[in-house]
Amino acid sequence: MSDLRQAKNPHAVPGLYRRALIDAFWKLNPRTLVHNPVMFTVEIGSVITTLLWLRALTGQSEEPAGFIGAISAWLWFTVLFANFAEALAEGRGKAQAEALRRMRQDTIAKRLDNRYAIQKGKSPEPTDYQNVSSSTLRKGDLFYVQADDTIPVDGEVIEGIASVNESAITGESAPVIRESGGDRSAVTGGTVILSDWLIVRVSANPGEGFLDHMISLVEGAKRQKTPNEIALSLLLIGITAIFVVVSATLWAFSQYSVQTAAGIGTVISVTVLISLFVCLAPTTIGGLLSAIGIAGMDRLIQRNVITTSGRAIEAAGDVDILLLDKTGTITLGNRQAVELIPVDGTDIMNLAETAQLASLADETPEGRSIVVLAKEKYGLRGRSVGGTETAPEMQFIPFSSHTRMSGVDQGDVRIRKGAADVMFATILAHGGTISDQLKGEVDRIARAGGTPLVVTRDEQALGVVYLKDIVKGGIRERFAQLRKMGIKTVMITGDNRLTAATIAAEAGVDDFLAEATPESKLKLIREYQSGGRMVAMTGDGTNDAPALAQADVAVAMNTGTQPAREAANMVDLDSNPTKLLEIVEIGKQLLMTRGALTTFSIANDIAKYFAIIPVAFASTYPSLGVLNILQLQHGILSAVIFNAVIIVALIPLALHGVKYRPMSADDAFRNNIVIYGIGGVIAPFIGIKIIDMLLIFMCG
Amino acid sequence: MTTETLRSMIRKQVKPALVIFFLITLLTGIFYPVLITGIAQLVFPSQANGSLIVHDGAIAGSALIGQPFTSPAYFWGRPSATTPFPDNAGSSTGSNLGPTNPALADAVKARVTALHAADPTNTRPIPVDLVTASASGLDPDISVAAAYYQVPRVARERNMSEQVIDALVAQQIVHRQFGIFGEPRVNVLSLNLAIDDLSAGRITVTPFASTFTPAPEYTTLFFGIPIMDWVQLILFAVVIAALIIPVGGFMVKVYTGERTFLSPVLEPIERWLLTTSGVSADEEMDWKMFAVATMIFSLIGITFVFILQEVQQFLPLNPAAIGSVSWDLSLNTAISFATNTNWQAYAGETGVSYLTQMVGLAVQNFMSAAVGMAVLIAFIYGFSRRSGTTIGNFWVLLVRSVMILLPISFIIALVLVSQGTVQTFGGPVTVPLLNPVNDSSGNLVTTQTIPLGPAASQIAIKHLGTNGGGFFNANSAHPLENPTPFSNFVEMLAIVLIGIALCFTFGKMIGSVRKGIAILIAMTLIFVPLLGLAIWSELGGNPAFTPLGINQSSIYSQPSGNMEGKEVRFGPVQSAFFSVVTTVTSCGAVNSMHDSFMPLGGFVQMVDIQLGEVVYGGVGSGLYCMLVFVIIAMFIAGLMVGRTPELYGKKIEPYEMKLSTIHIIIPIFLILIGTAIAVLIDPGKAAVFNPGPHGFSEILYAFSSVSQNNGSAFAGLSANSLFYNISTAIAMFIGRYVIIVITLALAGAFVVKKIVPEGEGTLRDHRPLFIIWLVFVIVVVVALSFAPALALGPIVEHLNIVAGGLIHV
Repeated sequence: MSDLRQAKNPHAVPGLYRRALIDAFWKLNPRTLVHNPVMFTVEIGSVITTLLWLRALTGQSEEPAGFIGAISAWLWFTVLFANFAEALAEGRGKAQAEALRRMRQDTIAKRLDNRYAIQKGKSPEPTDYQNVSSSTLRKGDLFYVQADDTIPVDGEVIEGIASVNESAITGESAPVIRESGGDRSAVTGGTVILSDWLIVRVSANPGEGFLDHMISLVEGAKRQKTPNEIALSLLLIGITAIFVVVSATLWAFSQYSVQTAAGIGTVISVTVLISLFVCLAPTTIGGLLSAIGIAGMDRLIQRNVITTSGRAIEAAGDVDILLLDKTGTITLGNRQAVELIPVDGTDIMNLAETAQLASLADETPEGRSIVVLAKEKYGLRGRSVGGTETAPEMQFIPFSSHTRMSGVDQGDVRIRKGAADVMFATILAHGGTISDQLKGEVDRIARAGGTPLVVTRDEQALGVVYLKDIVKGGIRERFAQLRKMGIKTVMITGDNRLTAATIAAEAGVDDFLAEATPESKLKLIREYQSGGRMVAMTGDGTNDAPALAQADVAVAMNTGTQPAREAANMVDLDSNPTKLLEIVEIGKQLLMTRGALTTFSIANDIAKYFAIIPVAFASTYPSLGVLNILQLQHGILSAVIFNAVIIVALIPLALHGVKYRPMSADDAFRNNIVIYGIGGVIAPFIGIKIIDMLLIFMCG
Repeated sequence: MTTETLRSMIRKQVKPALVIFFLITLLTGIFYPVLITGIAQLVFPSQANGSLIVHDGAIAGSALIGQPFTSPAYFWGRPSATTPFPDNAGSSTGSNLGPTNPALADAVKARVTALHAADPTNTRPIPVDLVTASASGLDPDISVAAAYYQVPRVARERNMSEQVIDALVAQQIVHRQFGIFGEPRVNVLSLNLAIDDLSAGRITVTPFASTFTPAPEYTTLFFGIPIMDWVQLILFAVVIAALIIPVGGFMVKVYTGERTFLSPVLEPIERWLLTTSGVSADEEMDWKMFAVATMIFSLIGITFVFILQEVQQFLPLNPAAIGSVSWDLSLNTAISFATNTNWQAYAGETGVSYLTQMVGLAVQNFMSAAVGMAVLIAFIYGFSRRSGTTIGNFWVLLVRSVMILLPISFIIALVLVSQGTVQTFGGPVTVPLLNPVNDSSGNLVTTQTIPLGPAASQIAIKHLGTNGGGFFNANSAHPLENPTPFSNFVEMLAIVLIGIALCFTFGKMIGSVRKGIAILIAMTLIFVPLLGLAIWSELGGNPAFTPLGINQSSIYSQPSGNMEGKEVRFGPVQSAFFSVVTTVTSCGAVNSMHDSFMPLGGFVQMVDIQLGEVVYGGVGSGLYCMLVFVIIAMFIAGLMVGRTPELYGKKIEPYEMKLSTIHIIIPIFLILIGTAIAVLIDPGKAAVFNPGPHGFSEILYAFSSVSQNNGSAFAGLSANSLFYNISTAIAMFIGRYVIIVITLALAGAFVVKKIVPEGEGTLRDHRPLFIIWLVFVIVVVVALSFAPALALGPIVEHLNIVAGGLIHV
């Protein structure tokens, strides 16, 4: 199931351009186009010039029929090019939607009877369920899935444990574990059970599931304009309205000039007025605006992030606080043992041997890292430890979050390792004492941001294991970039303040929240928000849900619990906490592309005046000819053609977004003004002149 | 408060509106002018009463009002366009002839011929001021060069030696005021009285040893501008810069209720106004309530001024027995003054009584300015307050605005009186003409009627409040309204003072002075090039005059350039300067006739207005309109840096964008559509005075002026007609009040928002790049909206001159 991956390369989609071309014509339907007022007015202009052309063919017109015909054709092209851009952007989304939809096909679901009583660890009998179509499942229903079944709809595991192939959604081929309780209880419709079984409670009605959201979003069917897009549309409508009035009143001014002021010449023709209007109207940005929005969504999906609202992408661009979980985002998922420190005169080899022994049965990454350290640094191989394998009475004590210690009982010898405070308590309870050296080492490690584990034999402290958080490579530079962009990073951790401060300093985050609880997270977010900040966070656990719901941009890991995914407004299918950084960049890029093209579009108008005004009034005021600084012969037609062609030329920019590099707002502003502002003033002078020369070459 | 219905809001605000209106009328319409008149009559009795010259024990005329001289034995003054005879002081006006109007060339040619006929042997080039009509028609002065030019003729007619007359002229030269201001000049009446004395042997002068050769004083040009004009421009900049912080800071204190050095005087007045009207100073209003209060107050003003003009003939203080005003003109004037436009379709001397001027028009000067300032402060609260719902109390802000305007007006009024601006309740004075003339119907005219009135008190606020409605028809070109170069300097300062200082006030109130200064810099970046273009255009003179043997270049003691419609005491540079100052702000006072500016000078004036009066701007309105441009500029800029745009920490969202866009669009629509209707219909076209593209400019200027509430005009347009009175009244009303309501709605939308703290991700709005961007956005919006219209008006008029082979400069 690699459909989605394939769909992510638009060039691999057959017939994408052909379909976009056909759609471009369908979108000429005024009822569709009216949603884009700028292009709708251009279409009206096209209709009028076409009618004028038809009339001109019968010999009644102010301008040559050829001229009107050419203008009219290029006005139609202007609309078609804009439609094409939109259709192309939608086409890429549609291809993805198709792939997704194939996964959503009706499957058989084993719906459990209402009266079915769940028994722990026991799978239901075939009599307990009946096969129904997945589309009949309703929220709250229970269903049963076993190996090779496709999970029919989204839900939450309430019993069982199973490995699931989620590659259809995430593209990751490695199976993931789904089990009841905890943070790995959510399953997604369309994914496949590889082994074991699950009982799942349906979390959404058909059509409201996760895939459905995704499909409707990528298709653009449910795409709602985002706030900034609406605001920009309003500005563009305003500018368009100004140019409608400018062009319409110009007819009156021309009339006065011809009849009263100068007494010679002809009044400006409707064709020229419409040409002027279309050239001035912000068609470049107006034509590409929706394509930019769709393409932004598309870029997000290509990075395996699903959003439930376009609003969230824009909000991502505004984020100025990132709340990042320490574990997995800032540090590698697990702490590693880096040093063994003997105390109270214990021999280092003795400590290493004991620590390894205590960790043999500890399957946690930390435990394994102690075994590895003992092996690599002290040459102790697991099986060679004291030849004690022969002792049949060896009893392993697994780690539990309750006792926060683990170890092994070798006959009467009790070997333990665990968190310092717990171990201290145990030692004291057995009448032992805590030496100053031990205390000192424990404090030193804690101060350095590490986690000290105390190793004991028969409640006698032998030494300390130094567990260290490993900060991810390159993360510091990433945070520095974010800081330059004005985004503050805040590390969230359950560690104590001391540990948190050290890691925060090492990772280069701006602030941290230590000993975080769901309440303190929520409080922190609210504080930032009431100070006017926009907060983004990632989360996966149920206890993250309140904070996720409160955050402006909330990214849930796909492996997270259903409550977390529901509280978030984005879901990262890769469950990669650093994805948040990319989401912010996509959000910013989206806005920047709109701003840049708006600037470009308006800056373009200056040249167009120089192309059109002198020609339009040549018969009344020949002295205005000096304003024809480009010495154009086909000024009006050249400007109209340039206006249409520039839309096509900018489609790649609209779809890929303007180049984005992390930098301060002031720097980004300067760069974009230089490229799109100054460039926007100059480019049309060159472009119109070239088109004029081509027209002269072709038509004489 | 938000759930209140419109009706209940209106009911709540009517009483304070009526009481405050009445009290402010009392304060600014009666108490203030009476106080100024009292002081003026006591301290400056001569200046306050028309600066009459007593010669041989009898009144011989006014030192400030020119008289017509046609006898070759007298020095002639500036040509005058008044009717029915030249220098008719009762009816000041310029010729309003456009620079390319053939009638202007003909008139100048006739004057050249007359000068040559009276003195055929004199082949020297004629100083331009001697053949071009003055702005007021009452210019008392001629340039020193123009006086010397006439010496041979007068000497011959009087049988005296040229050396004697040269010496007399030299004695009569009025030097630059304080060595800095204005142009050296000669008062024609004073010179002619002296020459009569000389002929009669009442005085003697020591003749010059030889025929006078002028020193090349004027030839020092720096970047094409006479060095002394540079001095005045720079001095202006220095003085205004020095005033920004004291005045801006004073306003902050008054608005926030802090103590100032004037508190002992102002606070009791403020308390009296508010308690009498039953307003509690700490009762805040949401934007709707604020808008209702603003509108009720303004409508009361319009109604009052309208009725006052209709019944002025029954009321006191009408020494000239002026009758009632036609309803459409009256409505136009009422709206014009209430909207701070001060478009004048009436003539001050002959159309309205002293009472109407004082308690109607002068009061509106205070009130309309105060309304603009109150709305601005409410708008500032929209940004400065965090998550609020209210934007201040209209009545409190209104009264405090008056408390700011009143003391500054007081000072300005007295300075003006000291310079010769009249301030009296006495009626017009009739003075004899030294050289009686025939009027246009051939009757001999032997006297001149000098109009008087409580002018200085009104003119002070006319400038300070960027109102611009003159006491006299010729406005600030009138010698009794703007008597000296120094009064001119003060009037210009007064025009920009509040607008510039409000930038500081704004910065201080939103907690970042540099943000206010950034806006001031943006304004100045627009102002300076436009000023440069206007000065360059006027200094270049009119190429049509060059073949007629007229000297327009910078030589000794002669203001060079286009002098048609300008006064000698100001000269072209200070006239161009004034015209730019008055058009970028929404003032509209004029010290020269804009209709007679060269095409590019007129172009600058029109563009200034079309920019939306955002450069320094009308008091209050300039800055709030500027801030809307800042919103638009910041929106696009914000997108370009990849973040929901925010201004002063407040996010700009669709609703704010909708309001801002409409805010920008309205005046553009009013100007273009108004002009289009006028050029299509006969009543619109019939009013045009100058032919060709200049006539189109007159209409375009008119609708620009009214829609943006400027009030100045290409005054050749006969605007007192039913069509223009009604259409411009509508444009003024929408251009002011719809904009104010939108501004308040914006304030209401912003005030509820949180303030996002500034960071690296925030686009800094005080940085040079943003300032340049803001200027770019403003200029592009205006250029794109008006380029075609301007191309068919001033631009083509200019290009026609260029194409006509009459190369400019």
